[in-house]
Amino acid sequence: MKVISVSWVLVLAIIAVLFVLTAGCTGTGKEKVPLRVYCAGSLIIPFGEAEKEFEALHPGVDVQLEPHGSIQVIRQITDLHRPGDVVAVADESLIPDLMYRRAGVDGTNYTDWYLPFGGNEMVIAFTNKSRYASEITEDNWYEVLSRPGVKVGLSNPMLDAAGYRALIVAKLAENEYHTSNLFGVLLGDHFDPRLTVRTVGQVTTIILPEIVKPSDDHVVVRDGSIFLLSLLEAGGIDYAFEYRSVAEGKKLRWIRLPPSINLGSPEYAKNYRTVNVILGFQRFSSIGTERVGVPIVYAVTIPYSAAHPEIAKEFVDYIAVESQKGRPGWPSPVNRTEIIRE
Amino acid sequence: MPGQKMQGLILIACCCLVLVLISGCTGNATGKSIPSADPAFGNWDLTLNGTTQKVLTRSDLETLPAVTANGYAVSTTGIRFGPYTCKGVDLRDLTALVGGIGEKDQIWVYAPDGYLWVFDAGQLNGKGFVTFNESLREVPSPPLKVILMYEQDGKPVTYNDGGPARVAIVSDSPGIVTEGSAWVKWVDRIEVHKK
Repeated sequence: MKVISVSWVLVLAIIAVLFVLTAGCTGTGKEKVPLRVYCAGSLIIPFGEAEKEFEALHPGVDVQLEPHGSIQVIRQITDLHRPGDVVAVADESLIPDLMYRRAGVDGTNYTDWYLPFGGNEMVIAFTNKSRYASEITEDNWYEVLSRPGVKVGLSNPMLDAAGYRALIVAKLAENEYHTSNLFGVLLGDHFDPRLTVRTVGQVTTIILPEIVKPSDDHVVVRDGSIFLLSLLEAGGIDYAFEYRSVAEGKKLRWIRLPPSINLGSPEYAKNYRTVNVILGFQRFSSIGTERVGVPIVYAVTIPYSAAHPEIAKEFVDYIAVESQKGRPGWPSPVNRTEIIRE
Repeated sequence: MPGQKMQGLILIACCCLVLVLISGCTGNATGKSIPSADPAFGNWDLTLNGTTQKVLTRSDLETLPAVTANGYAVSTTGIRFGPYTCKGVDLRDLTALVGGIGEKDQIWVYAPDGYLWVFDAGQLNGKGFVTFNESLREVPSPPLKVILMYEQDGKPVTYNDGGPARVAIVSDSPGIVTEGSAWVKWVDRIEVHKK
């Protein structure tokens, strides 16, 4: 009897220990709810902060950020059919253009609303190491960037909205400062082939070649802003066309551009629309090649297929509230924060 | 003694049962395995358009001279993918099947999800790419090749990784990272555009 009792006690003890050791494998109870958020690359810093803060407020939620270019953000849902709870882009027009369409046989759209939650503006970012850093001002920036030996960076306009927005800003500067061919001197003449510019009536169109390739050292093009910033910090370029929030978030020095050309002021929307860019080829079949100068407005939505729409709504609300506070490195507050429906 | 033997057997049986029950915990986090090939891969083919046209199956691709080298990509937002050992066919060899490329020609690479990327002839010769080390610091470019990869780390490229065939920019040097926009996934058509 004694032997039997000892054996059974041993068996039960082993089972108990193994159950304790494997308790995390059952998948019930204490696992965090994943909230998958696709966001524009220029939102990495603010959304990274929001991730930590939101998780602290909601200990049961694991916010999973996945940054891409804004069009790629939307394509994760519409073309690649990946699961996602929140979509946040750096151009509000992309959501109605790409997501207000049927997602499946039941007639539901990918989404039918969006919330504009922040604005931004283009600036000239630089560091203390930049050539003529002690001379550049809001009044002479275009003259400094035109000087021989100065290296100017922009992200690839085929890939990044900040890239084609840089071209639009440079073209708008030509009229602002009444300097003919300023666009060519700053950027357009430093590509192989040179960028073609056509003006019909009040509208100027910049036409890109299929391959955006600098012809000399004055202009440096990289796929994304992250690589430009790294070059700027290493002294590989002197100045970069960047979003104000990104320059601020990276603690760089930056020059504010006039509101009439910086794409940050809705009251100048009519002026911005006088310049557009035609991309060299249709990279995505779901969106055309024309990019128009418009005020920069960030927008967020919850796709129809969100696995956790209630938590996603709480996250969207959190972003909307925090964006209105004017936090450093975040998109700037916007006047219109109501949901826009189809 | 027979009683003791029986108890010993019960003890061993119980332990085995528990080990079997918990064995599912040692797999990956999702409990799902990624298939080495999508069922739809069987229908895949590659259309080449140049001065002539040719359609290749996966088997045809595997009969062409293969390049095996190191590949490592980074997205526009700094997310790295790799490093991989990539096996595939040099795009110059593929375009040679339909008339080849001239110095000023372009190569348009399409995927069925609506993605398109354009290379020039210089890029097909490995020129004009930005290269980084693993810390994403820019480094001088070693010799590069642009291939249509069908094997990644010795296995068929999975659907999630862009299979059955995707573009990869490869080098003999390990740890060289290239910009990912050119790494077109799910390639099904390559066109030579004469300039």
